[in-house]
Formats: sequence, C-alpha cells, structure tokens
Amino acid sequence: MATTTASLTLSSSDLTSDSLSISATSTLYKAGTTIGLDQTTGLTKKVYATAQTNTVLVAASAYSDNGAHKLYIKNVGSSSTDAFSLEIDATGLNAACAVVPIGKLYGGDFLYLPWEGEYDIQITTTATDMELEYMIIYEA
Amino acid sequence: MATTTATITLTSGDLTSDALALSTTATFTNAGGSNGLVGTTGLGRKKTGDTSQYILFDGDAYANGAHKVYLKNTSSTAAEYFTIEINSEQMGKLYAGDWCLFPWEANADTNDIKIQPSAANMVLEYMLFIDE
Repeated sequence: MATTTASLTLSSSDLTSDSLSISATSTLYKAGTTIGLDQTTGLTKKVYATAQTNTVLVAASAYSDNGAHKLYIKNVGSSSTDAFSLEIDATGLNAACAVVPIGKLYGGDFLYLPWEGEYDIQITTTATDMELEYMIIYEA
Repeated sequence: MATTTATITLTSGDLTSDALALSTTATFTNAGGSNGLVGTTGLGRKKTGDTSQYILFDGDAYANGAHKVYLKNTSSTAAEYFTIEINSEQMGKLYAGDWCLFPWEANADTNDIKIQPSAANMVLEYMLFIDE
C-alpha cells in the first residue's frame, strides 16, 4: 500500500478584509476505504503543436469505473490568454450537450479533482504549441 | 485587484521507486487577462440533512469566466462521500477528507455544480472565487 498525500494552501491578504489562509491535506485512498491508491500514470507532459478540439486527454476505458481516481492537470504555459478548456465527454449521455465544459486552465493554472473513470476527459486548445502536464493517481 | 494564490503539493515516498514531490503555485486571474479575481463567496460550510442532491453553484448566477471552485468533505468516515456533478454529468466522488480545486466556466445556465451526499448529516466546506 502506498501513502500519497495532496496538500493545498489558498491564501490572500487582500481578497477580503479578513485575510484568507486555508490549508487542506488529504491522503489518497481507494474508494470507501483507507487503503492507499497504488497506481499512477506518472507526471506526463503533452505538447500540442496544432490546435485541438475535443481531444481525449484521459480515456475512461483505461480505468476502472467508480474509482476514487485523482486527476492533476496543469497548463505549463505562461500566456494569460491561451487556455486549455477541460471537458467531459458526455456523448450519448447528456441530452443537453455532448461535451460538458468544466473550465479553462490559463497559463500556470492547475486543477486537482476526483474522477470516477466513467467519462473521457477532453481538452480544447485556444492556440498552437501549447503544453500541459497531467498525472492520474488511481486504483485498479 | 486582489492577489490570491493556490499551492498544491503532491508527495509520496512509496507510490513509485522515485519519490513524488510535486509542488506548484497558481495565481487566480480573470479569463484571458492578468487581473486578480476580486469576488468570492467566502468559505462556506453546509450540513446536509438528508441525501438529496442540491445545487451548490447555479450556472445562471455567474457570468462565463475563470471562476475557481474549492470543495472539501470534512467527514472522517471513509465510506462517506459527496458526488459532484457539473451540468448533470458526474465528475467524481469526494471521499472523507478529500478536497478538490478546479476551474469553472459557468458558461451556460445549465452548468450548475450539484452536490449529493451519500449519508445524512454530512458537512461540506466550499468556496468560490469569482471572475466578475
């Protein structure tokens, strides 16, 4: 069993009149247990020389359903205008839209979220020559 | 303009044979710009009485922007989780002690973020950083 921890610090001295200082730390466990997640893609780097539209970044078919997988993605660029749009592929599942947008990662932005491995995670880029890093820590 | 930063650190000494020690910091800025986000809900805490799904953030209430969502399941019971949905699609489950941080566009009225607890009387902490 592996022990992996994820920590977050959110801070601001001027967002509100009360300084913000939030810290959270979690240990990454398999769904509903206290057994550590024991598999990972490693930190993967992708370079997209051409613009991408609804390109699969993470294929659900490669992961177990209903897992407590954790997904980390970072736009390693520095542009404040170039972004990766993160999307859930809901083809055939969502009557309203086949691609559900989550949000955009601008230069330097990252996300960390739980992912069940049921739907593909896709990206759309706003420019050419964009780079991202991602890592999945998962269970079989 | 405010300056708000988020730092994530992922560590493990035994996940692989090469120790994991990843750390990165992002500054929250507006969509396509370099101005700091100036709006926030503040850090909220909600105790759910039953297991009904509810809308945490209504896509109709926010403009399309570079909002950031922070959620934490404060439970210490391993089997208790919150299911997170966006636009009625299931993103993932936040188990006891887990937190997440992700960008949210709120690009449609239907792009709500919905939460469903797996048990009664669970407590979720949440905060939205708003691109106004």
